[in-house]
Amino acid sequence: MPALFPWWANSVARASLLVLVIIVVGVPIALMVWVRTSFATGQHANVKQPIAFDHRVHAHALRIDCRFCHSSAAIAAPAGLPPTAACVGCHTTALNESNTLAPVRASLSTGKPIEWRRVNALPDFVFFDHSVHLAKGVGCETCHGRVDQMAQVSQAQPLTMGWCLSCHRDPAPHLRPESAITTMGWSAPVDAAALAERLMRTNRVQSRTTCTTCHR
Amino acid sequence: MSDDHDHESPSAMDRREFLRLAGASIALAGLDGCTRLPAENILPYVDNRPELTPGLAQYYATAMCVDGCATGLLAVSHVGRPTKIEGNPDHPASLGASGAIEQASVLQLYDPDRAQAARIGSARTEWSAVAATLAPSALQSRVGASGKGLRLLIEPTSSPLDEALLARVLGAHPDAAVHMYAPFSAERAGNDLVPHYEVGLADVIVSIDSDFLSTGPFNLRYARKFADNRRIAGPSNPMNRLYVIEPGFTSTGVAADHRFAVRPRDIPTIAQALLASVKDPNTRSTPAWVGAIARDLTAHRGRSVVIARDASPAVRAIADDINEAIGALGHTAWYAPTPLIGRSVRISPFTELVDALRSRAVDTLVIVGGNPSYTTPASLGLSSLIRSVPNAGYLGLYENETARDVRWFVPMSHYLESWGDARAYDGTLSIVQPLVNPLYASITPADLYATMSGQSGTAYELLRASWAQSGTGNTPDAWTEALKRGVVAGSAYTPAPARPSASPPRAAAPTGATGTIDVVFAEDPKVHDGAFSNNAWLQELPSTITQLTWGNAALMSPATAHRIGVANGDGVKLSAGERRLEVPTLIVPGHADDAVTIHCGYGRIGAESVARNVGVNAFAFAPALFATDESGVSVAHGGARSTLAIAQTQPMMENSQPVRTATLAEYRASPTTVGIRPERVLSLYPEPAPPVGMHGPNQWAMTIDLATCIGCGACVVACQAENNIPVVGASEVHNARIMHWIRIDRYFGEHEAAVDALLQPMLCQHCEKAPCEYVCPVEATVHSPDGLNEMVYNRCVGTRFCSNNCPYKVRRFNWFDFNKDLSETELMVKNPNVTVRERGVMEKCSFCVQRIRESEIAAARDGREVRGSEIQTACQQSCPTNAIVFGSLSEADSEMVRRRQQPRAYSVLHDLGTRPRVQYLARIRNTNPDISNGV
Repeated sequence: MPALFPWWANSVARASLLVLVIIVVGVPIALMVWVRTSFATGQHANVKQPIAFDHRVHAHALRIDCRFCHSSAAIAAPAGLPPTAACVGCHTTALNESNTLAPVRASLSTGKPIEWRRVNALPDFVFFDHSVHLAKGVGCETCHGRVDQMAQVSQAQPLTMGWCLSCHRDPAPHLRPESAITTMGWSAPVDAAALAERLMRTNRVQSRTTCTTCHR
Repeated sequence: MSDDHDHESPSAMDRREFLRLAGASIALAGLDGCTRLPAENILPYVDNRPELTPGLAQYYATAMCVDGCATGLLAVSHVGRPTKIEGNPDHPASLGASGAIEQASVLQLYDPDRAQAARIGSARTEWSAVAATLAPSALQSRVGASGKGLRLLIEPTSSPLDEALLARVLGAHPDAAVHMYAPFSAERAGNDLVPHYEVGLADVIVSIDSDFLSTGPFNLRYARKFADNRRIAGPSNPMNRLYVIEPGFTSTGVAADHRFAVRPRDIPTIAQALLASVKDPNTRSTPAWVGAIARDLTAHRGRSVVIARDASPAVRAIADDINEAIGALGHTAWYAPTPLIGRSVRISPFTELVDALRSRAVDTLVIVGGNPSYTTPASLGLSSLIRSVPNAGYLGLYENETARDVRWFVPMSHYLESWGDARAYDGTLSIVQPLVNPLYASITPADLYATMSGQSGTAYELLRASWAQSGTGNTPDAWTEALKRGVVAGSAYTPAPARPSASPPRAAAPTGATGTIDVVFAEDPKVHDGAFSNNAWLQELPSTITQLTWGNAALMSPATAHRIGVANGDGVKLSAGERRLEVPTLIVPGHADDAVTIHCGYGRIGAESVARNVGVNAFAFAPALFATDESGVSVAHGGARSTLAIAQTQPMMENSQPVRTATLAEYRASPTTVGIRPERVLSLYPEPAPPVGMHGPNQWAMTIDLATCIGCGACVVACQAENNIPVVGASEVHNARIMHWIRIDRYFGEHEAAVDALLQPMLCQHCEKAPCEYVCPVEATVHSPDGLNEMVYNRCVGTRFCSNNCPYKVRRFNWFDFNKDLSETELMVKNPNVTVRERGVMEKCSFCVQRIRESEIAAARDGREVRGSEIQTACQQSCPTNAIVFGSLSEADSEMVRRRQQPRAYSVLHDLGTRPRVQYLARIRNTNPDISNGV
């Protein structure tokens, strides 16, 4: 009687088992790695805006405070985007015929808002509040990076839950004095530990990791 | 919104296909979290909006009218989108509370079934095209210079603006007439004077057939004042006493210390006996309890009152006599001018309109609001009479029954889209302020009247002009102040010096043939007269006593049901003369024998998809205009069996006694046995204090006073609005899948001769040792340092172990994606501060954690800690009786902590060792020792 299975059948069976183990172990690992890649988190992704707005000019060269345009950052959950009227406030005199600003003029004349594309996005079940972070002494730069050096703004940090928690577990090293909240390129003074300890106390900063801090 | 989930129900599927799909969905479920967030755009405003900061809610004072009587409200707006209604503490009808109807009114604004376009015949048109036919010259060419053939039929209104404009309409058409109709309006009394009661000054209150705590104008105010004298802080405190004499079982009846179920035909006799006993204490009254009530009333002379607001005119006149005899008239009971219009414009009786329609004397009939084709008795035949009018038109929110009968139709604006004014029941004037531009091409009644009187201008301009003329808000400051506060100070009417002079004739008690039944046509506390029946939040709100959702039924006592031979759900046939009605049976312990109650407002057949074919139309059977009951109806088993969507099927408490109760005398004799002190709870473990892990500066907790809960359901709807809770529909309610985070449990307790009902708002108890937390395999429900039992939707995988292990059964599972098929407008009512849950996720009361965190953030911006008493949960905020208080255990001088230190405080199922953060105060009844039976 001929053999029921060919000579290589055992090798195939062993290889299949190996492949199965690789799939069962490897796929979850691959997925876990993938969600942490910048491709999945959108970190540094190229987000093209309808207007070539240059933060290098406004925030660095002209030294306009972040809160001049993002005016609700200190008082509400969203930082806020300026109304067209705020752009026009300066640009009636400066660069008032520039082609770059054509969408601004169009928005003003038609009454239709400028459709900016969101750069820093969080899922809908996350309730982030700018005002409390500013009140506690977290600077713009901590999450948004060196916006003053960005020709086109991109997401500077991964914005994953693990990244949020790294600060929520130990906020002290990420705090800065109120005077430096909007400062770009701020470096901690020599006595960083003492400053952090003082800010933790004066701003009543606590480690907040309970779920409803962000998920409601 | 729809109650069918056929597209998701397990259809005929073979095993292989099921396994294949199951395998695929398991494989895909893991990938769900790996997708990138969808690209989003941000659209800033074009112009500067200094008054509006996205992310910060705005509050505007406005007012909502039911049957013309205003309740002052504060509407919450998120970037121009009203999402929530709260009561206005400065308004006399609200005092900060809001009822279920007010809470649900915001859903009505976004109702996709609202009429969206005008029409003439069946051709779509613009309002301007209709307006052209209504201009004075155009109308005069139709109905003649005197306007003899012109009639207006309006829903009750108290608006001075409407009154001024209607006077001009009558000026342009002198022989025209204005009629007002609503089935349960104050107008039905036919008097210029309406009864008022100072419930807060009365120690003894007798209610005769009047559900004054949950229906009618000022019900929120009465409930607040009633509860204020009932919320005893300790055993030695005084407490008011409420007797209720009624056929059905109402919220007022549950709140009563003694409730007597009396069928309608016997109520005049009882009232007469009470009057006789009050006048002469030596009268031997039958039944004996009448004498006991009379003695109690006279013993509290000047501090007692008889309320018969909703009873028949004859009974109301007897009640006035009693109030006169006990020194209540002019003190705890008085009359004041009606808030409805009629001073500078003549309002003709509705019956005159019916006569004119019958004699074909009407050429043009303009109907404004209401739904008269539905809310009038079918025997009147108003529907066909309106159809016979050559030029009938209707301004309404919906293409309802009345809209079917008219030639032209114009959509009416919702109150949150309208400029206007209105008076509260006591005459206090408020501005109705819009929060949004009309969503559809709709107009207000003022726009219509202005067109008919040849004036131009927007409703806002007309309102400003009317106010300038009336002198009420002449200065810009007065106008701004009235807008901001929501009331015009000192605008209430002064009480009339006397009771109405022309007392209606004392009709002899109606006698029905023996063996026949009395039928009560009751105003529905949820959908009113059908005006709110297209509101899914109200349809799904369980009725206080019956726990019935999505419909009505023939409510009857167990003895009556036994006599007829019917069980729950069986059809009964009512017949009287030519009239017939088939209704499903629902047995209610405590209902008067030989009587049947049917709530009005159901059985709608208009174009409203939620309301259509829900329940049975009681108006179709009503014998005459404004009839609240009818004697001599024969009732027999017959008709189809129906499945009733009842939210709670467990009638009794059994052994666990979740509601503790005592009489005031028992409480005074032995205060400590009424409640259960925490130290009496046995445990094998040492008690850590504070519990492990709970170290936050605030420790959140709630105290609920069962002595004052009247089961009105305001908290249930307020919670639904605040927390984006979906509606599941009748069939899913029947499957016990209702989603409410707070429910009001009802238990019947039987005594010797009467039936008592006990109510208990039940919500997540936020147990310190929460059984749900131990069994969650993915830690989707965990405890916060400030004592909250947190539910994390984005972690939940839907095992439902938590719900199985919850002894209070307060966890709700999303069996379907209830938000998937919502219209664009319905999505706008969602609270942006609360996650909208999807299918497969567990949810439950969060103690309004979004409000807690928001207040904490606001306090952090000010550099301070939040105080517990700064935060109100949605249920607490709406509660008319202040039965619910929320706060922090660490704030020792707060109302919440003081209440739970009373001896009557206890935890439900304390013996399980769950240590709930919600504590209840035992229900105390102030019974009369002279009345042995009766509850």
